[in-house]
Amino acid sequence: MSFSEKGKLSGDDVHLTPLINDLDTGIWKYNFNTREVKWSTGFYKVLDFQLNEIECNAYTFFEHLLYHGDKPAFLNAINNRVAENAPPLQLRFLTKKNGYQWFETTIRKQDNEHGCIAYGSLVNINRYKHNDLLSAHNQVINDDAFKTARLGSWEINAQSTDTIQLSTQVYDLFDLQNQLNLSVEEFISFFEPPYRPVLQDAINLTLEHSRPFDIDLLLRSAKNNMLWLKVKAVPVINHFGKCTSVKGIVQDIDSEKRKLLKLEQSINLLTDQNRRLQNFAYIVSHNLRSHTGNLQFMVNLFEQTETSEEREEIFSHIKTISDSLDLTIEHINEIVKIQTEITKERKMVELEPMFKNICSALKNNIEAINARIEGNFTQCPEISYIPAYMESILQNLLTNSLKYSHPDRQPVIKCYTLTEGNHIYLIFEDNGLGIDLERYGDKIFGMYKTFHQNTDAKGIGLFITRNQIEALGGNIKVDSAVNIGTKFTIRLA
Amino acid sequence: MIAERDPVNTWIVDDDSIYVYGLKKLIGIKGINTRLSHFINGQEALNALNNANDDHVLPDIILLDINMPIMDGWEFMNEFAKLKPQMGKNITVYIMSPSLDLNDIHRAKNISEITDYIFKPVKPNHLTEIFDQTIRQANENIMKYGT
Repeated sequence: MSFSEKGKLSGDDVHLTPLINDLDTGIWKYNFNTREVKWSTGFYKVLDFQLNEIECNAYTFFEHLLYHGDKPAFLNAINNRVAENAPPLQLRFLTKKNGYQWFETTIRKQDNEHGCIAYGSLVNINRYKHNDLLSAHNQVINDDAFKTARLGSWEINAQSTDTIQLSTQVYDLFDLQNQLNLSVEEFISFFEPPYRPVLQDAINLTLEHSRPFDIDLLLRSAKNNMLWLKVKAVPVINHFGKCTSVKGIVQDIDSEKRKLLKLEQSINLLTDQNRRLQNFAYIVSHNLRSHTGNLQFMVNLFEQTETSEEREEIFSHIKTISDSLDLTIEHINEIVKIQTEITKERKMVELEPMFKNICSALKNNIEAINARIEGNFTQCPEISYIPAYMESILQNLLTNSLKYSHPDRQPVIKCYTLTEGNHIYLIFEDNGLGIDLERYGDKIFGMYKTFHQNTDAKGIGLFITRNQIEALGGNIKVDSAVNIGTKFTIRLA
Repeated sequence: MIAERDPVNTWIVDDDSIYVYGLKKLIGIKGINTRLSHFINGQEALNALNNANDDHVLPDIILLDINMPIMDGWEFMNEFAKLKPQMGKNITVYIMSPSLDLNDIHRAKNISEITDYIFKPVKPNHLTEIFDQTIRQANENIMKYGT
């Protein structure tokens, strides 16, 4: 049955019939009063049936061809008032060879002399629908993948460089509930202060010079979680090589980054320990060997000499060597102590009483040269430190200043604390002999380096001091001018 | 004529007084014919080099320690290399150090003005060899160029 047979087309419209029948589009019609369904030749064609292979009636239409699951939606659509520009309905119909396939139908309603009629045109959209479903499926898979990878994407358009588009995952990483539009500045403000200029500069460089970047930054999320993120971006350029937009990603690399930082810390610790070991090797190679060599030398000479005066002289040297050996072993012991004491707990150290104690222990040395000692620890009266280290540091620096005082003036030695930002500094200043730093530089902290022809210079004090300070994560610097004085600046923490 | 010539000049540049004492003693025991001068660091030796107004005052041999206060052996070699072209005498420099440190040994090998690296304490036979060689060389120079 088709419109051509029982068609109600008339007049000028008659010539449209063959055209309509030729279309790869089915036309159906439902009469609400008679509950009859009719359809066009094309209707058979889109369902792959031969003409009249299936009976054209309401039962076939509703119970056989239309997928039962889509029936409520279809009935709903034809029974309700149909808006002028209502979107087409997507339904499944049974085809002869390929089972149910997706179709799209328009729905129009009309009241005329034959009653209330609904009609529409049916087109096979199976291929597009499949692609749709597939891409929706892929989208879900991608979303899951991005979610699992904790990976989000962002984009800044060169036309409006203060706004940034963010993917859902970025909002998730930032712990933001609402997907508010963020400005670039707001986006950057989620990172910890030291990293903000880094990111801003990187973005600017990409916008201006098309330079890609890949940086690790520390984020403080809306819920105050600290998180390491990798922020990476590439420029998108036009034919003239100008950057039109910056496309980037952010990824949660927190656990990897923290492991890496821990590893770096371990490496630094190992490097320090290694350096101390090298110092051991150095002492053994230079100092112990020099003493044992001399001992051997003297013993051999002793055997080759005959007069008792000569032998006595050589023996006195042997005694000196024995004392030197003892001292060197003591120095080695002090370096070993740095190693073992570093594991000791830090305690609050009150600087003023400790400094006073050291001064009274060195009273004789101070009085002998009539030195004036000024200690001022008001800026930072106490610090969490290993007490034995602090004692050793203060004592070494004071001894050092007393030893290298200038003979032409009263020695003035100042020791005070300073706080600056998050750091605590200990300053040690004297008006002594000074040292030519251009010539000796950092060597003054080296082992067994002495620079003045001073008989009690051993070249171990500053070496130990530097090691103790560095072992606790600080550093020591020296400023000095010959005949004016020396100033040690120690960053304690 | 050879027997008539002056003994070689030896400069010991070393701050280790015991070693210097032993070295002098050993040179005496071995009967080596040399005039000895001792400097306690590189700076002192350098000053003496600068002040030498006669080639006869200049050393034939320098026995140089590495670790010394004020000016160490390396610094001295830097200054020595600058002075060498102006000096009218061939001066042989031996490093004498207790250091077994390979860094020190390689560093010495790379300085062309250094003839050899001798571990402290020097073996008596080695010491006589050094002097024999230097005296022979000094004599050859005299044969070639006159005084």
